[in-house]
Amino acid sequence: MAILNKKSKISDEIPSSSMADIAFLLLIFFLVTTVFPRDRGLRVVLPEEAEEVEVSQRNILHIHVWPDGLVRLTRGESTDVSVITPRQVEQVWRTEVGANPNLIAGVKTHPEAAHRYMIQVLDALQLAGASRISLQLLEE
Amino acid sequence: MALKGAGFERKSKASDKIPSSSLADIAFLLLIFFMVTTVFRSESERPIEWPEAAATQQIDEKRDNIMYVWLERNGDVYMNDRLIPMEDVATMVAPAWEQSGRRLVISLRADALVPYRHVDLVQEQLKRSGAVYVVFATDLERRMTRERR
Repeated sequence: MAILNKKSKISDEIPSSSMADIAFLLLIFFLVTTVFPRDRGLRVVLPEEAEEVEVSQRNILHIHVWPDGLVRLTRGESTDVSVITPRQVEQVWRTEVGANPNLIAGVKTHPEAAHRYMIQVLDALQLAGASRISLQLLEE
Repeated sequence: MALKGAGFERKSKASDKIPSSSLADIAFLLLIFFMVTTVFRSESERPIEWPEAAATQQIDEKRDNIMYVWLERNGDVYMNDRLIPMEDVATMVAPAWEQSGRRLVISLRADALVPYRHVDLVQEQLKRSGAVYVVFATDLERRMTRERR
């Protein structure tokens, strides 16, 4: 036994220097393959079914979205129609709600109008801080 | 010949190497962090054009409580990778709404160019199912000039 001195130069330790490389490789793999969920958008709360509230015409701002992407705006019972762009709705809402805090935005979209035009109007209203928004289909 | 180091012998026992033994620990820690936080998608995305909105906000709801309804340009509705007839949307959503304790958020991922009548039909179905929290999925719009009062 005494003669059998250890002379081998081979280390008896497991080489750990490449461990970091392996770990980083895995790390980069997971970083690259991770897809972050894209859960974002414009929040709305739909009315519950059969929930109909009578609202005085005075408190409604009628916003009609047409297939050409323009907005026909009528105030309450008035018959004056003004044609504006969806972005101008933001400005209009701020002015109107300043005059009447109980105002409700009645957004009616034409059946053939592209979804994005409704989104543009909804966007403008939400930017202006509107919370009472009603989304309906425009019936001719 | 001058002495190396001007005669000052290096006597410090401190190693001049950056210790790399803990590098693996750091890497594994990061690795485990990313593995834990990764959420795998259960359904594949439909090819739609996302509408853009500047007021886009993140949905702050647990992933389990978010249900996706895809609406393609031709009016096809997809849920869980399957084509669903429009009139079946309510029956698909209603059980999930009850199961979530009336917290379910519907992410309505409608194509930017889909005619609004399809969007309206989906909303009618959602109302019937009881699910009232709806998010119109949009991409954040970055406006060059923001008109502010």
